[in-house]
Amino acid sequence: MKMRAKKASTRLGALALAAGFTTLAFPALAFASEEESAGISAILPDMLEFIPMLVAFIILLIILGKFGWPKFEGMLEKRESTIKDALEKSEQNRIESERVLVEYKRQLDEAKDQASSIVAEARKTGEAVQADITAKAQAEAAAMIEKAHAAIEAEKKSALAELQGSMADLSVSVASKIIGEDLSDEEHRKIIERYVKEAGSFNAE
Amino acid sequence: MPNNRRIQKEKVAAYATVLVDSAYEAGGQDKVLEIRDQFERILSVVRSHMDLSNAMESSSYTPEQRKTLAREVFAQADPILAEVLAIMAERGDFALLSRVWDSYKTELERKLDVVVVDVTTVVELDDHLREVIINKTQADLGHNVVLREHIDKSLLGGILMSANGRRIDASVVSQLEHARNVLKDSTDGGEC
Repeated sequence: MKMRAKKASTRLGALALAAGFTTLAFPALAFASEEESAGISAILPDMLEFIPMLVAFIILLIILGKFGWPKFEGMLEKRESTIKDALEKSEQNRIESERVLVEYKRQLDEAKDQASSIVAEARKTGEAVQADITAKAQAEAAAMIEKAHAAIEAEKKSALAELQGSMADLSVSVASKIIGEDLSDEEHRKIIERYVKEAGSFNAE
Repeated sequence: MPNNRRIQKEKVAAYATVLVDSAYEAGGQDKVLEIRDQFERILSVVRSHMDLSNAMESSSYTPEQRKTLAREVFAQADPILAEVLAIMAERGDFALLSRVWDSYKTELERKLDVVVVDVTTVVELDDHLREVIINKTQADLGHNVVLREHIDKSLLGGILMSANGRRIDASVVSQLEHARNVLKDSTDGGEC
């Protein structure tokens, strides 16, 4: 149907072109007939003019149909093909764009999921590290307290031992002084005699 | 065949026997005891002066030089003791001095039945105390006892007796030291 319409329009165009050509080729004949005729003959073509015009028209039509129209039709078909290709390309581009968009959306979603998992993992790791640090700090604090207690205990024992030693030294010193200064020779001899009697034997192991 | 150790032992015994016998012949028990006291002092001096003992034992000197050196060093000692020491130095046996000393004491005990007991006190002993001490030590040692008395105020009191390398410390200072150690060591665990 499209082809038929195209052919009809082609013929009308050819007629119009032929009429125009005739008018341009024989202008004096047209004006002469207008002056001489009257009534119905005024609207009917003069045969003398009409036949050459018709012949010219047919010749023109043949020439155009033979040489002009195929080129014109080729141009139209080329144009149609170009437009069709452009449309197809455009459609392909659109489809590709939609595919790429879908792909991008998918990748974006994946990236979002990945980011979420990374954040969750990081949070989890951070909490574990925090718990570990806290546990270590508590253990260190407990060890330090334990050491401090041990050091305090050792210091206390040392101080007590030192005090006890000082008291012992003082007591012995006082006793030595008393014995050394207050005892007479006779008292010393009595002590010696008592010690000799109480002393152990040379044979004792 | 006698080995080196046996030879050394025989040398030691020979020196000690010569000393005891010579001293006894020269002056009886008192002489033996006098030489014993001198020997003890000389041994103390030799032990505290390494140069002297090294010189007496040194092989870089000739035997004659060592003998001369010993005679000059111990000129103040009893001639019997000085001569024996000079012979020991000459023969290169001066290193045996400590063993000769021990052997001398053994010979003294064996031949004279006498043990010397060193007694240290802060005051001089009277006759009664000497008798008490002699009775006790004779009963312990089973030999006659000769006391060598020393005064040492640092004992603070009591008595310190020693014989044949054994000793009985009944001094006040040792008892106070013991009391000090007991006081220092007696802890109740530190809770207060």
